[in-house]
Amino acid sequence: MSESDKAAEEVARLGRRPFLKSLLWGGAAVAAVAGGSFAWLRRSGVDDEPVPDWVRHLHANEYHLMRRLIPALLPVAGTNLTPPEQVPVLRNIDHMMGLLNTTVRKDLAKGLVLMDNAAVVSGWHGKRLVDLEPEAARAYFDTWTRGNRIQRALQGVVKQFIYTSYWREPATWPPVDYDGPVTEEWGLEYLGNAPLPEADQEQSA
Amino acid sequence: MRNVNVPRDGVPVTQAKDVAADPSLGKKFRLRADVVIVGSGGGGSVAAYELAKAGLDVLVLESGRYYPSSRFTEHLGDSMQLIWRDQAGQVNTSADVVFAEGQCMGGSTVIGGCVMQHPPDWVFQRWVDNHGLADLAPEKLAPYFNQVGQEQQVHVNESHEINACAHKVIQGCERMGFSWQPVTRNVKRCALTGHCLAGCPSDRKMSALVTHLPWASAYGARMFADTQVTQVRTRSGRATGVDAVVMDPDSGSEVARMAVDAEVVVVAGGAIQTPMLLQRSQISDPSGQLGKNLAVQPFTQALAEFPEDLHAFRGALVGVQVDEFFDTDGYFFYSGLAEPEQMLAQGYLGAGQDHIDFMKKYKRMAALNAFSIDEGNGEVQWEGDAVNGSKKIKWNPGRSEFENVKRTAALAARIFFSAGASRVYLPTYQHLAVDSVFDLDQTLDQVDYGLNGMYTFRMNSFSAQGTCRMGLDKYAAVVDPDGECHETKGLFVADGSLFPEPMPAPPQWTVQVVAKHIANRILERRDGLFIQGNSA
Ligand SMILES: Cc1cc2nc3c(=O)[nH]c(=O)nc-3n(C[C@H](O)[C@H](O)[C@H](O)COP(=O)(O)OP(=O)(O)OC[C@H]3O[C@@H](n4cnc5c(N)ncnc54)[C@H](O)[C@@H]3O)c2cc1C
Repeated sequence: MSESDKAAEEVARLGRRPFLKSLLWGGAAVAAVAGGSFAWLRRSGVDDEPVPDWVRHLHANEYHLMRRLIPALLPVAGTNLTPPEQVPVLRNIDHMMGLLNTTVRKDLAKGLVLMDNAAVVSGWHGKRLVDLEPEAARAYFDTWTRGNRIQRALQGVVKQFIYTSYWREPATWPPVDYDGPVTEEWGLEYLGNAPLPEADQEQSA
Repeated sequence: MRNVNVPRDGVPVTQAKDVAADPSLGKKFRLRADVVIVGSGGGGSVAAYELAKAGLDVLVLESGRYYPSSRFTEHLGDSMQLIWRDQAGQVNTSADVVFAEGQCMGGSTVIGGCVMQHPPDWVFQRWVDNHGLADLAPEKLAPYFNQVGQEQQVHVNESHEINACAHKVIQGCERMGFSWQPVTRNVKRCALTGHCLAGCPSDRKMSALVTHLPWASAYGARMFADTQVTQVRTRSGRATGVDAVVMDPDSGSEVARMAVDAEVVVVAGGAIQTPMLLQRSQISDPSGQLGKNLAVQPFTQALAEFPEDLHAFRGALVGVQVDEFFDTDGYFFYSGLAEPEQMLAQGYLGAGQDHIDFMKKYKRMAALNAFSIDEGNGEVQWEGDAVNGSKKIKWNPGRSEFENVKRTAALAARIFFSAGASRVYLPTYQHLAVDSVFDLDQTLDQVDYGLNGMYTFRMNSFSAQGTCRMGLDKYAAVVDPDGECHETKGLFVADGSLFPEPMPAPPQWTVQVVAKHIANRILERRDGLFIQGNSA
């Protein structure tokens, strides 16, 4: 069996019972090691593309993956929603990555490698997730939504990162009628600290 | 007669930047106090106020930052990053249940939903009967509930505080014949901004930040933020103080180490952090219950879509509760839809067009938060050394707990269908929505318990409790009826970890009441506790 066959076999095993039995992140780590061994299986054109200077926390492969997934997960064309390229979605994702604790960050890195590479065989797309057309990428997400615990967790994390980074931007709110901060706009009186309870006031008077 | 002045706003708090700028403190410094309090949230702030008012020299140490309300942006994302523990990413070991907690001066009271509920008397009667907590009998606690109620300006929501979301819940309940009530909240002249979970910038929410902390400070309590207590020090079965690290809240780097000498240590870090502090301090625990009995009050959020625009995110966040199943099943439900980011945390995460369609309907949605009482079988564990170790929160639903969560989600969906919802999005990791009440059970049947109920329902816990349970028997409980650790004199616990049984109600009011009781017991036992004498 060639190296690439072995790697494909590892990935195909993802859905089988022994894997299901292992604990979530422990299991994801094992799978990601497998992911590492087949990363060369499909190189992507984006692997050599540059990463902007402002990126502090995303690894290059993660940056490219997120960049490609944003339009796939947020297809706003034809709606009144704010186009994702008009808000700093990637910058927000980068910032959020920097807030994760070291252990979770490491596990997530492995998980993202796994999710990217598993597309080669999972659903038999024959390409890494980063190279899938938007339609195929969405189908891949839908499959993972119905998949095992690890798949459900990873697809959820990626969506959370992208959606949260988009919807946290005030520019995205007017199209859905969300008002955002109102205190200043409404000129609300600022009440300050509550006075001491009455019993105390009597004592100290 | 003392001259007691509460500042108009803000609390005098020493922060990491003040420590760094004070050459007299250096990289290691030592302080003395009569009482050191760990944590400034619901329990810690009340204890600080009561003890400082009685003339004790009180020092409050808080691991989170001091984030005064003048800096609140009414943006959940900002608050989550700055004052929610682990940026709202504190999860159980299988990473599918979120344990939300405030980490700032004022603790979780700053980001709370403002619901104040006085649990039914039978809850406390059980505490008396099953755990020997005679001092916490309903009639003995009643005056404390009154006091806290007044301090917190607790009132029943008036009609203007019932928003469109709540009205849909009322409509559904009326059709189903379910009992509902306007909730009681700790808000003064609510301005109906709906931003409770991000903190209230005009100080209408009676969080600890604008009540017990400034009051404690007016009575002389000193406060440090950015200060993580790493260990409680003991000698010959007595607490002697704590060790702490002052950290820059932005970079996480150490600014200084602090040692505090105090004859009384009150730990009020909340039900997740408190047991871990005691574990890493190797506090003697003959009961073997330290960190165990974690009850989480799991809740999910059912989102319903209606044919008409509701703008249900406008107005007071929580309007009404459904109390039909409170006594029979321990279920309780609260109306409440927050900002778009919150929908993502709780809800339905489609890919692409599905997500776009979902979010476009935000203004037509209402939400019902469905809580159930769990069995308290979780556990919190600190692993490794005091500074570099890590926490483990072990909680997954047992089969019956899973069935309860499923039933509450089904009930929430039924209430909304009765109110005319055209679709209900189920709070599941699977991507499930139902367009008719007739399809509800069949759809929910797709959610299978599987392996420990993991990745089934999107569960959250805002109300962890029970990990240092209180009781008379030192072989069954971690702390005694005064809140003092059974075998460590002078070491008290005053937070949600004390609850001896899972509580079927939002806990803040009870936490504050129990903290008052414990402060009173400390004062009543003053002569025996402060053997070196104190300033009072
Ligand atoms: C988002 C949210 C909404 C909520 N809404 C409601 C509601 O509507 N009604 C209700 O009744 N309850 C609500 N709760 C729960 C309620 O806020 C808590 O039950 C209550 O505040 C518990 O008080 P506590 O003292 O146990 O803990 P907390 O209020 O959480 O305070 C603990 C404090 O201790 C600090 N700390 C912990 N460890 C250390 C350490 N080692 N060193 C120094 N400091 C430390 C923490 O940073 C924190 O500030 C909500 C909670 C959350 C998170």
